[in-house]
Amino acid sequence: MKTNTLGYKVRQYLLFAGVSTFIFLSVVIIPFIYGIYLTFTSWDGVSKEKPFVGLENFILAFNDTAYWQSLGRTFIYAFIAVILINTLAFILAFMVTSKIKGQNFFRAGFFIPNLIGGIVLGYVWKFVFNKAFVAVGEAINSPLLSSSWLSTEIGSMACLIIVSVWQYAGYMMLIYVAGFMSVSEDVIEAAKIDGCTGSQSIIHISVPLMTSSFVQCLFLSITRCFMVYDVNFSLTNGNPYGTSVLAAMQVYNEAFINKNYGKGQAEALILFVICAIIGGLQVWAGKKGEVEA
Amino acid sequence: MKKKVLSLLMATAMVVSMVACGNTEGSGAAGTTDNNSTAATEDAGASTDDVKITILNSKVEVQTQFEEMAEAYKESTGVEVEVYCADTDTTVASQLSTRYASNDPYTIAMVDPKDVYSLAADYATDLSNEEWVSHTNLAITVDGKVAGFPTCVEARGIIYNADAIESITGETFNPTDYATLDSFTALLDRLVAGGMEKPVAILSEYWSLGAHYAAEIYEQQADPDAFVNGLLAGSEDMASNAKFNSMMDTFDTLIKYNYAKGSAANADREESSMKLAEGEVAFMFGGNWDWSVLNQYDYTENMGIMPVPQNMEDGMNTKLCGGGSKYFIVDSTDNTSEAQRQAAKDFLNWIVFEADGNAFLTEQCLLVPAFDNIDASALDPLSSSVKAYADGNNLIANYNYLPDDHMTVVGQELMQKYLDEKMTRDELAQAMVDYFKGATPIAH
Repeated sequence: MKTNTLGYKVRQYLLFAGVSTFIFLSVVIIPFIYGIYLTFTSWDGVSKEKPFVGLENFILAFNDTAYWQSLGRTFIYAFIAVILINTLAFILAFMVTSKIKGQNFFRAGFFIPNLIGGIVLGYVWKFVFNKAFVAVGEAINSPLLSSSWLSTEIGSMACLIIVSVWQYAGYMMLIYVAGFMSVSEDVIEAAKIDGCTGSQSIIHISVPLMTSSFVQCLFLSITRCFMVYDVNFSLTNGNPYGTSVLAAMQVYNEAFINKNYGKGQAEALILFVICAIIGGLQVWAGKKGEVEA
Repeated sequence: MKKKVLSLLMATAMVVSMVACGNTEGSGAAGTTDNNSTAATEDAGASTDDVKITILNSKVEVQTQFEEMAEAYKESTGVEVEVYCADTDTTVASQLSTRYASNDPYTIAMVDPKDVYSLAADYATDLSNEEWVSHTNLAITVDGKVAGFPTCVEARGIIYNADAIESITGETFNPTDYATLDSFTALLDRLVAGGMEKPVAILSEYWSLGAHYAAEIYEQQADPDAFVNGLLAGSEDMASNAKFNSMMDTFDTLIKYNYAKGSAANADREESSMKLAEGEVAFMFGGNWDWSVLNQYDYTENMGIMPVPQNMEDGMNTKLCGGGSKYFIVDSTDNTSEAQRQAAKDFLNWIVFEADGNAFLTEQCLLVPAFDNIDASALDPLSSSVKAYADGNNLIANYNYLPDDHMTVVGQELMQKYLDEKMTRDELAQAMVDYFKGATPIAH
């Protein structure tokens, strides 16, 4: 059988990747292109007519201060959350790979928050912030805790960050654990013989060798933080007075509550481009720093 | 070679299984279209057997009642009714748009008044010739055609817990004695002196603040439409408006006695409702739909709704705000057959004219009927209040043409901030005026 003809290659491709290509096209690529088309219309989300308005939605989106404010808030939220998630995840990963007792139990324990859906998580933490913290605050007479954090502007953003860190640190920890495990014992041992202390071997041996873990974790946490909606919805729902509305929620409200589907879609597209640029830059910079053992 | 055959076989098996899995949905859809076409051919014989209609219920608290009704309805009429429960996380309009986009609309959809206006032209059947039209003044007519069937009447005002008040004052509570803000404030002070430290609860949800409380500012104007259009055109002023100031005077009083003062923007609906039901607070701004939350707690039957007290003497402090709140529309697209449409109309008639239908509406769902021929004596306390005001023609009509983002901007960003005392009344008035200047009007 000839294996280098075009027909054979096409057949082979269709046989092994045809179905997945079809599904990928129909659930990702086509809706994406259709979504881009909708940004050029002033569709309200239900009507049969989709009047073509050119670039008007983008002009409206660029002039929408509420959108840029929410985007600014998302930047602050993502910046702090990403740093905290990765710092905590790295420390946890180091601890559960340093051969402490019950490390498997701890690994499972730290990972579990990630198994709870964001909506449920938000409601649970809402109770914790509103009731448990306040009760503790009243008991110990602390002014910092005696009124709910969720009712203040800075407090509600802090709550969002705390919950996100709690949710994602365990997941990122697993990736860092894999990174720690992939660093060969030989290299560590060689460093030890050469007189390397514990912290030196982490900074100069382990960390450079697990750059790919950092790239992955940063990418995942950055994109997730930029796209967050579920926790935002169930924990704060934008309260107090709309000061905790993050970009995804702003886009959703614009499209479905304010019924400006085209404008919402345009704002979503801008958010996507920003995410893609940041994610791409970060992966590119990270890959450059990777070293071979 | 053997290996190759084996791998080929396995790959084929996988593809087949995937196609088969994908097909279940496809065949499901094909099944419904089949149904439609058979229904359409049967239409000639005007048979209602084997007709199936779908209903979207967006009053989630009565979903069980709807499902039980569907079974009973099938038994008595032979028409199969499939009831879908609306998703509360998103708007009804967005759920409908998904179904329209997939050419599989609900035969009957329960929507908000606003949605009737936006859907009428493309998706709603003309119901003008139905018999029930003459029994209600709450049906929605768009471009000369009756498009919306009023499912129920809902109204808002201040919900009171009479037991809680009477246990402190020792007198029978008569809400009409407290129509003015002065008398209402005096009563609040008496409650405080009697040991109820904070007698008021205010919901912090943006729909309550924006679509319910702030909305009354427009609805109680002499000509709401002219006032809102004036705001949109930038020619009306808020800060000098008597109604705005009157409503905000009352709001200030409510804020002063709010149990959640200090973290008011974060008050929890469940907690507020529990406090009202159990008499820890005496008043809460809300509507008769709140009964479904209140009755989850250790409640008293001795409750009701009273108008928002105001000092302004324009008679509005003797009326509740409200009207038809949920509307049925019957799908007019080709995806619904004539037989289904007829079955849907029959269903609406059943609600209005059959004893079983009446009982379903008023006794099982405990909804206030919008039709003058339906007797409703088994309603919950709040709905009884609403019915009394509705029967006495004491309802201020809902204003259905506020811009779509009114709820999130005025409700959440402004009213909630004012509720939390982080904004002065002048700032609020100015911000509302500014908001309206940039808002997109609703065509009507």
